[in-house]
Formats: sequence, C-alpha cells, structure tokens
Amino acid sequence: MTFLIQQTLIYAVPLMIVALAGVFAERSGIINLALEGIMIFGAFAGVLFVRLMQQAGFYVDAKAAGDWVALQGFMILAMVVAAVLGAIFSLLLSFASVNLKADQTIGGTALNLLAPALVLFFIRIVANQNTLQMAEGDAASYFMIKKSFFGYGRSEEMGFFGSTFIDKTYLATYICIILFVILSILLYKTRFGLRLRSCGENPQAADSLGINVYKMRYAGTTISGALAGMGGFVYALTTANCASTGEVAGFGFLALAVMIFGNWKPLNIAGAALLFGLFKCIAASYTSIDINGDGVFMLAEIGVSPHLYRMLPYLITLIVLAFTSKKSRAPKAEGIPYDKGQR
Amino acid sequence: METENIIEMLHITKEFPGIIANDDITLQLRRGEIHALLGENGAGKSTLMSVLFGLYQPEAGEIRKNGEKVKINNPNDATALGIGMVHQHFKLIDVFTVLDNIILGAETTKLGFLQKKEARKKVEEISKKYGLSVDLDAKVEDITVGMQQRVEILKMLYRDNEILIFDEPTAVLTPQEIDELMATMREFAKEGKSILFISHKLNEIMAVADRVTVLRKGKYVGTVDTKDTDKQSLSNMMVGRPVQLQVEKTPATPGEVVLSVEGMTVPSHTHKRNAVNDVSFQVRKGEIVCIAGIDGNGQSELVYGLAGLEKCSGGSIQLCGKEISHCSIHQRGENMSHIPEDRHKHGLVLDFTLEQNMVLQRFREPRFQHLGFIKRGEVRKYAEALIEQYDVRSGQGPVTIARSMSGGNQQKAIIAREVDRDKPLLIAVQPTRGLDVGAIEYIHKQLVAERDKGRAVLLVSLELDEVMSLSDRILVMYEGEIVGELDPKTITVQELGLYMAGAKRTEKEGKGA
Amino acid sequence: MKERGSTLLQKEGTKSVLASLIAILIGLAVGAIIILIVGIFNPSLGIKGALEGVQLVFGGLFSTGRSAAGALTFGFNSTNMGNMLFRATPLILTGLSVAVAFKTGLFNIGAPGQYLMGTAATLILALSIPTSVVPAPLVWVIAFVGGCLAGAIWGCIPGLVKAFLNINEVLACIMTNWIAANLVTWLFDNGSLFANLQNHVENTKTAYIYKTSFNGVQTAKLGLDKIFPGSQVNGGIVVAIIIAILIFILMTKTTLGYQLKACGANRHAARYAGIADKRNIVLSMAIAGALSGAAASLYYLSGNTEFYWTSAYQSLPAIGFNGIPVALLAASHPIGVIFAGCFMSMLDIVGLQLTNLTAYNEYITDVIIAIIVYLSAFSLVIRMLISGHKKRKNAKVQTVAATTEPLPADTPPGTPPDTPPDSAAVEEGGGEA
Repeated sequence: MTFLIQQTLIYAVPLMIVALAGVFAERSGIINLALEGIMIFGAFAGVLFVRLMQQAGFYVDAKAAGDWVALQGFMILAMVVAAVLGAIFSLLLSFASVNLKADQTIGGTALNLLAPALVLFFIRIVANQNTLQMAEGDAASYFMIKKSFFGYGRSEEMGFFGSTFIDKTYLATYICIILFVILSILLYKTRFGLRLRSCGENPQAADSLGINVYKMRYAGTTISGALAGMGGFVYALTTANCASTGEVAGFGFLALAVMIFGNWKPLNIAGAALLFGLFKCIAASYTSIDINGDGVFMLAEIGVSPHLYRMLPYLITLIVLAFTSKKSRAPKAEGIPYDKGQR
Repeated sequence: METENIIEMLHITKEFPGIIANDDITLQLRRGEIHALLGENGAGKSTLMSVLFGLYQPEAGEIRKNGEKVKINNPNDATALGIGMVHQHFKLIDVFTVLDNIILGAETTKLGFLQKKEARKKVEEISKKYGLSVDLDAKVEDITVGMQQRVEILKMLYRDNEILIFDEPTAVLTPQEIDELMATMREFAKEGKSILFISHKLNEIMAVADRVTVLRKGKYVGTVDTKDTDKQSLSNMMVGRPVQLQVEKTPATPGEVVLSVEGMTVPSHTHKRNAVNDVSFQVRKGEIVCIAGIDGNGQSELVYGLAGLEKCSGGSIQLCGKEISHCSIHQRGENMSHIPEDRHKHGLVLDFTLEQNMVLQRFREPRFQHLGFIKRGEVRKYAEALIEQYDVRSGQGPVTIARSMSGGNQQKAIIAREVDRDKPLLIAVQPTRGLDVGAIEYIHKQLVAERDKGRAVLLVSLELDEVMSLSDRILVMYEGEIVGELDPKTITVQELGLYMAGAKRTEKEGKGA
Repeated sequence: MKERGSTLLQKEGTKSVLASLIAILIGLAVGAIIILIVGIFNPSLGIKGALEGVQLVFGGLFSTGRSAAGALTFGFNSTNMGNMLFRATPLILTGLSVAVAFKTGLFNIGAPGQYLMGTAATLILALSIPTSVVPAPLVWVIAFVGGCLAGAIWGCIPGLVKAFLNINEVLACIMTNWIAANLVTWLFDNGSLFANLQNHVENTKTAYIYKTSFNGVQTAKLGLDKIFPGSQVNGGIVVAIIIAILIFILMTKTTLGYQLKACGANRHAARYAGIADKRNIVLSMAIAGALSGAAASLYYLSGNTEFYWTSAYQSLPAIGFNGIPVALLAASHPIGVIFAGCFMSMLDIVGLQLTNLTAYNEYITDVIIAIIVYLSAFSLVIRMLISGHKKRKNAKVQTVAATTEPLPADTPPGTPPDTPPDSAAVEEGGGEA
C-alpha cells in the first residue's frame, strides 16, 4: 500500500503541475500543445545543471559532508533552473502565437519537435551517448529524503504516515503540491487571475476594459512554460533517476488530457491527476505492486501481457475523454489569435 | 459656447487598409445633452466611437475635453477621462458572475487580492439609486439580454463615468424595455452626465435626443437639433437620397399548406429548459410568415430544427405533405431553401471561390458532375449566370474568393443561390442584418417577389419595422414558445412588444390544427 | 476573366513556394549557426570542424567523403541521390497523409501510429503468406493493400471520436500513437502470435523482424538501381509519385474532394449545405491513415529494411512525424509534397554525412526540421510580407484591368465595399409610415 501510494504520487504530481501549466496557458487563450516539448527541455536543463554542479564539486562536497539540507537546497536550485529555461523556451510559443498570430497547434508541434532534437543534439555532444545522466551517483542517494535524516535507525519504523509520506520521498513532490495550491489561489482570488481568465474567455471585452491582452497571454504562457519545465525535471528526477533522454513518453500529452478531464479547474485536475497517476504507476511497476500486503503480486500473476499495462494509461485517456468531452468546457477564446485591429 | 462642450472630436480621420472609415468628422458633445449619432450600417459610427474610447488611433484630427486637447491611447485613458461605453456587442465574460464583470479592469485589491465586499457595496448603492436591479451572483450567460445591457450600464456607472456612449443599445430590447432605457438615459442627462447615442432608428432618435449628428459613408453630413427636423429629412441626410421606407406589396393570396409543424421541440445546449418547446404552426403557398421576437427566444433553434442542423426531441414536421423530422439535411433540402442567419458561419465557405459557393448544395446534380468528377465549365457558366441575374459584384467574378467580397454582395450571392434553387419553401433568417438601405430594399423586393411566385416564405426577423412591413402573418416567439399569431394590418407595435416581452399571449385553442 | 483567375492562382502558388523557400533557408541558417556556436565553444571541434559542418548542412547531398588529405570532397554522388529517393518514398506518403487531413481541417499527428499499424500488417502478410503457394507479386500487392487498410482503420479512430464525440483530434492521435507503439511490439514479442517472424537467422540481436525479402517479397527496382548504382532506391518512389498525382486529382477534380475541402474550410457551412460533415471527417482520416500505412508498406516491402524495437516497446517512428513538415512545406499541395518529401529526405542524408564525417550528429537536421515547422506556423505572416512588397504593383495592374474590361464597374480591391445595388429601382421618394 505504501509503495502504491508513493509510486502514484510520483507520477501524479508532475502530471498535476504540468496540467496546471496547461491551465495557465489556455485560460489566457493560448493552446499550449508544447507541454511535452517544454518538459523535455526542462528535464534536460535541470539534469545538465545537476551534472555541471557535480562536476564543479559543489554537490559532491555536500554529500560527502552528509549535509542533506544543502543537498535539498541544490535540488530546489535545479528545479528553479528547469523552470527558468522552460519559461524561456515557451517564449518561442508566445512570440509565435501572440505577436505573429500563428497557428498555435502547429507552433506547439514545432516546439515538440524542436525540444527532443535540440536536447539530443546537445546530449550527444556533452555526453557522447543518447542519455544524459548525473556525473556521479544516483538520484536517490543525492536527493531522496530518508528516515535516517530524522534520527531513525535502519530497523526503526516511522509509522504508516512517516513511511508513506516522508521516508524515501522527494521534497520536489511536496514543493509541487504547495505550488499547485498557491497558483490555484492566484488564479481565482487575485486581480491577476481574474484578468488572465478574462483574456481566455473574451479578449475583446478584456481589451475594452483596458487590460493588455498580449501581456496577459505572455504571462499565462510564461507561467505555463515555467511549470512545465519544472514538471519535466521533477519527472526526470523522480521516475527516471535524474536522467534526460530527449523524451517523456507522452507525459505532456497525458497532462493535457488530465487538464481537459479536469475541466480546466485546479481541484478537478488534482483528482484527475491522481487517477491517471495510479494508472501510470500500474503501467510502470505492476510487477512490484502488492495491493493487500500478502506478498502476492497479483497484477503480475494474472498473466496479462505487460504491453497491455503499458498501453493502459493511453487507452484510459482516450476512453475518459470520450465520456467527458461532451460536458467539458474549454476557455472560449483559446486558440484564437487576438488581433487588436479586429472588432 | 466653448466651455459648453464637454467633448469635442475635431476633423477625425481613421483609415483601414483599403477603406476610409472616418473622413474628417467633427462631433461636439455638450454637457448634459443626449446627442444622437445617426448613420447607416457602415457609415463609420462605431469606428468614431471606438476612436473616442481609445480602441483605435485616428490618423488625423484631435479630441478635446473641456476645451483641452487630450490623447486617448487605450480604454484606460478613456476611463480616466470619464468616458464609458456600452458596446453594440456586449463586452461581457459569459462564465463570470455579474459582479466579476462589473469590477473587471477596475478592481479594488489588497496586495493583489480581490476585495469583492467593498465592490459589492458600491454596486448595490448604484443599482438602488437608478433602479437598475440585477442579481450580482448570477452568471452572465444565465441572464437575459436586457439584463446584460443593465450590467454594461452598471459597469460605466461603477467607474464614475460622466460621458456615456450607447452603441445601438435598442437593437436587442422590446419596445417596453426601450422606453425604460430612454427614461434612464434622460435621468442620466438630468444629472449632468452627457450621452452619445448611436442609432439608425429615427423614431428613437426623435424621441430621446436633443441633437443629431449624421454620418454617411464615413463622411460628416451635418448636425441638427431634433426639434428643428423631422424623420424624413433625417432619413434623407442619412442615405443621401429619398428612401422608400415602406415595402410595396399586394395582399397575399395564400394557397395550400407547404410546411406544417406540430409540437416541435428542440432541446437547448446551455439551459435546462427547451430552446423550442412544443411549437405548432403552418406556412402556406404565397404568404410571408414572420417569426418575431427578441433575440435568443428560440428562433434560431426553430430554424435549425426545421433545416436539420439541430435534432428535434419531439414533434412532427411535414414539408409538402412528407414527414421530414427524421430526414437528413440533404433530404430536407429537396424542398427547402434556407438563407441562414449567419452568412459567415453557415452561408458561405469563405475560402472558396464564388462559383464553388454557388453550387454548395447542387454539386451532386448530374448537371454539375459526371462519375464523381466536377464539370468545371458547367459550374462556371451557372455561376456567371447567377452573378449577372442577381447583380452580385465582386473583384474577379466567379473566381473571387468569397472572403474578399463585401457583406452586401456576400448576402446577395447567398440569396441568388437559395432563390435559384427554386424550392417550395424559402426560409430567410435576418436576411438584412448589417446591410445598408439599398441592399435592404433589394432583399425585401426579392422576398416579396418569391411570395408572389407562389412560394411559402418563412422569415425570421428581429427588426420590428421589417416584421411590420414585410409579413402577411406574424408569429411571436417568447422563451421557445409561440405566444401569439397576429395580423400585421391590425396590430400596433406597442402591442407586438407586449407579446415579445412575454407580457401577453393568445392561449392555444387546444392542440392540433 | 479566366486569365485573371489563373494569374491569381499563380500568384498564390508563387507566394506559397516563396514562403516555403524562406522557411527552408532560415531553418538551414539557424542549423548552421548552432553548428558554428557549438564549434566555437567546444575546443575539440574548433572553427574548422564547425565550418565543415556548415558545408555539409548545405551540400551534404553532394558529399563524396574525404580526400586522402582529410578535406571534404564534393561531387555527384549516385548513392546519395538514390538513397534520397528511397527515403523520400515514405515521407511523400506520410506528407500526403498529413496534407489530406489538413485540407479537411484536421491535424493528423497520428501518422506515426498509422505508420506502425501499416508496418505490422504489411510484415505479417508479406512474411506469413508462403510464396511457394501464392506468387510473390501477388503477396506484394496483398501486403501493400493490407498495410493501407491497417493504417486506414487506425486513422479512423481519431476521426470517429472527433466527428461524433468532438474530442480534439490531436490528443486522440497522440494516444492512438502510443497505443499502436505498444500494440505492435506486443504482436511480435516473444510468446505472442507472430513471434515466429523474429529474425534469428541474420541477427544475433533480439527483437528484429525478418526483411520481407526473406519470403522473396520485395519491390521491383524498375531499373532505378542502374541509374543510381550503390543505392537502395526501388520502384516504391514511382508508386508514391503516382499516389500523389491521384490524390491531387481527388482533391481538385472530384465531388469527394470538394466535400472534404468544404468540411475543412467551414464545417458549419458544409453541414448546412447537406454535406455529411461527420462522414467526411472520418473518411478524411481514413484516407490519411491509409496513406501513412502505404508509407510503411513501401518502406518495409523494399526488402532491405528491417523492423526492430530497442526498449520495451517500439518508439514512435520519425517518418510519421516528419510528414508534418513535409505537408507544411508543400502548403498541403499534393504535387508540392513530392518535392518537400525529397527535400526532407535530403536532410536525412545530410544528417548521415554529418555523423559519418564530423563530430556532429544527425539530430541537428531534426532541429532544422523543427524550425521549418515553427516558421510554417506563421507562414501567413510571411506570405503577407511577400505580398506587401508586391501590393503596389498589383494594385496598378488591377485598376488597368478594371478600366479596360467592359464589365459592370466592379470594385477593385482596396476601395470601400457595399456599393448599393440598382438605385434606379427606387424612384418614388416614399415617406415613413
């Protein structure tokens, strides 16, 4: 059970934060199909930063000194780097769709093609192979929170809560959850949020009230890029052992589906992300899921092909979309370039 | 004299690619007056007001407030100068509450967080003062069009504007609501607020305005006091030639029933109640039956239901004696032609050429195709014939891209296509919307001619003048139901208004018939 | 009037071609700049290496390797040329796939999935039907048709959910892509139905499928190997070009094409006119899917390509995604797709030369492709810029034409619209009632 919850969270949290990234862009009126690409780029930026810092000796020294607080700080720094580069990368989309009034679907697709190409190009040059890994050690040994930090011994129990939510978890997961809450409040309770949402629904109205639609759309897409970039790094950190391979296996698109399933509302998205996280978790580690704790790995023993489990998240997405699409309500003006000249 | 003018727009010129929307226009608004801006569709009224409101920058000319030159670069500047505007197409966010809509752009905040309580208090005070009550927590999409206009007015008052612009405010209202609006406007004027009232309806201008400025084709024609003029001379100023305001037609001679609708019901996409609820009526050969009503009372859905664009959830539709309620759009088209409400959404494929648009329904006919291959030459010949017969003007004839044509000529192309299909039933939905007087006259003549040829014409219109002058029989729709069947020769506009507002209805004499 | 129409078409056509050429040039330039920057900051590559890289980006097709002195040499390279045509074959077809969907207003990003399904069907049919019983050319045809059908069925799925449930086809396509990736691997994986098709003869590696030539099924060379000796080219390119011409005829000359385009340009108007919009959306996606399936068929039926997967599942094939830039570059014109496909396969060759001859890798060509797609997203702006330069000239031509023509004085573009019709009809000045 503990394993199931931890694994689900590991998948659900990046989904949640990237889906929220989608919300910020779409609520401002820009379809961000590039979430996948931005995640790839963010993951690469974060991993490269970690690798460079390791090579410069900072991280290694902290680890050798057993200074786990500093290590967590370094990890947060890497998240920030991923977010900043994600935001910069997303400017390509904002520029095309806001200033040049481009087709946002094609623009997003371009970014989705560009990210893996650039990333693999550089990984080849930096690492001389197709995967960029940490310079030394692995993600767990550097960045995972362990019960030993809190003075627990190897054989001591932390209790269900402790062993599920503290031991062997990543701080990044919780930072994402907190950010998710803060940004949801930003979207609904502040002047900025109100104005941002108005631009995605009726930019002509917003403009007539003196709101700068272009600026708001830039803001929405940039926040979106930052969150997706960070989400990409968190995904790489927690599920791929802090490695960048130029792909995130359609995770960005799953996040888009989560966003639609969650009807562009943060609370529903959190729920949807947990559901999808569970399926993703089953797909990734069905062989080691012991649901009722009796030592029998049921899912693996049913004898269903592993390919089916791997297919499951995508299949479920399609089915869920089929059932919810009639009710879903996208921001009215999303995808439509805003032109001041047109009334 | 100088200080009397609160706003002066002097020699304003605004150009768009290929068109001069405002050519050296001067407008002076006095403090505390109701000043009407009169002109046809496309005369440049809205452009001029958008310049005043900071949405457009003029190429030449200047704006003065209280005699001082001001620069209005965006709506924020306009608001700072106390200028507010109710736009023709409301600038509201459908999914926001009324309160959110009112405060948007002028929010009270603390550390960026919205302080809605204070805002609510202020709005409540204003609405009490002017008797403009509205549910602040309702979503805009759930309230009536009249209420939405009230929200727009409250938006201006919330910003303490003293110069109020109303852009075609009466188009969406019942005659009774129009009277209320006029009273409110007069009250604002009495308080010292200055009002610019844009309209092309002479009755309203004569009733409420102190002075009128007339524009024609982007040019300034003149400014007159309403007490020194009359409707006919205003009309001549507006159009530049004498206008025939009444449609000429002989009394109808209705023949056999072409369309017979029984208990038709169409569900709504946005509301729980049906968009069209249990509607029954008939249209005969040689008559124009007009569906009147305020916009959004189910007229569009009724037509969609008839044409097959929306599924009906109940009732029967008989066209030329054949039950069609389960037929496809294509099958229905065999006996029905349809001039749609939205010429850009339904009427034309804008990126197709004119000739391709002319055969939108007919391309399957053996005349235009052989074994699935389109006969280019035939299509060209047919399109050229229609263009000449209906005088459709375009840059490159049949190969003109429809998008590049003017609105009036786009509409004429649709009318040519639909009329030439020569079907027993002709449905026309707001066929004259947004067109100038010349085009309107032309279309009215066509519809009467079709009637006289023995066709059954079902006309949906929001313009009361059009309803009164064109129809042989009026059906009034209110909240998805037909609440009255009236004779245009005996009914007054006021009475028609009561039906449209749902204040009056003729009871159904049992079902059937 | 006919002449005016055709000059307009030409103008639109030239604009599209110009816009695409600009996109290509900028894409190549950016690629070259990245190579230069990397070269400057990476001491092991150096300026010399960087300049070589740039040379290859622009002239890789004509690269003939290195001379004894180590300098890059250029000249006509029949292997490269032939391989370009060979690689262009599937690209032309996936490009057509995306283009047909574009014309119907759909974004077919599902080409990779359709391609994979086509691959599976083609391989299974081509390898399972014994050529001792059925003549090889017939097996070839069956496998080709099977591949098209499998692609068509896979393309139908997003088409159906788009038409009837209004699900964004992009999202549906992405999901079907990943489902296909897992499904295809499942079909061939150990213990599955077609595990016997795994190649245990030639390869020591696992997860490889036989080449179709193992069953004696391969595309005829049609003498092309004589023209381009040393290359993999075969008759597939001829088939692809014929299909492109057929699609051109379908889209421009037939009622079906008219309906598809009407649905794409304005779905509401098409519906209003009694055109079955939902059927046409599904049909368009089916055709698109069939074309992607055909791409896979021709690629694997060549007889010298083999299908494999490296990780737990087959990754999404780049040929599918590269249909997007091909279609965009060609502005969705079926004949243009032929040339755009060749250009894209040329980039492939460039990538290979870069990897083989310098320290750079083939991914730079993917960067160039992505940039071309990015520029295509606002090709309208580029086209507007082009016409902005020509506007004045055209305006003059137009007015001259208008005055010389004995037609009713129509409004040349650039003057206010809405000339009132026939005011002569209104003579008596009526009053208002």
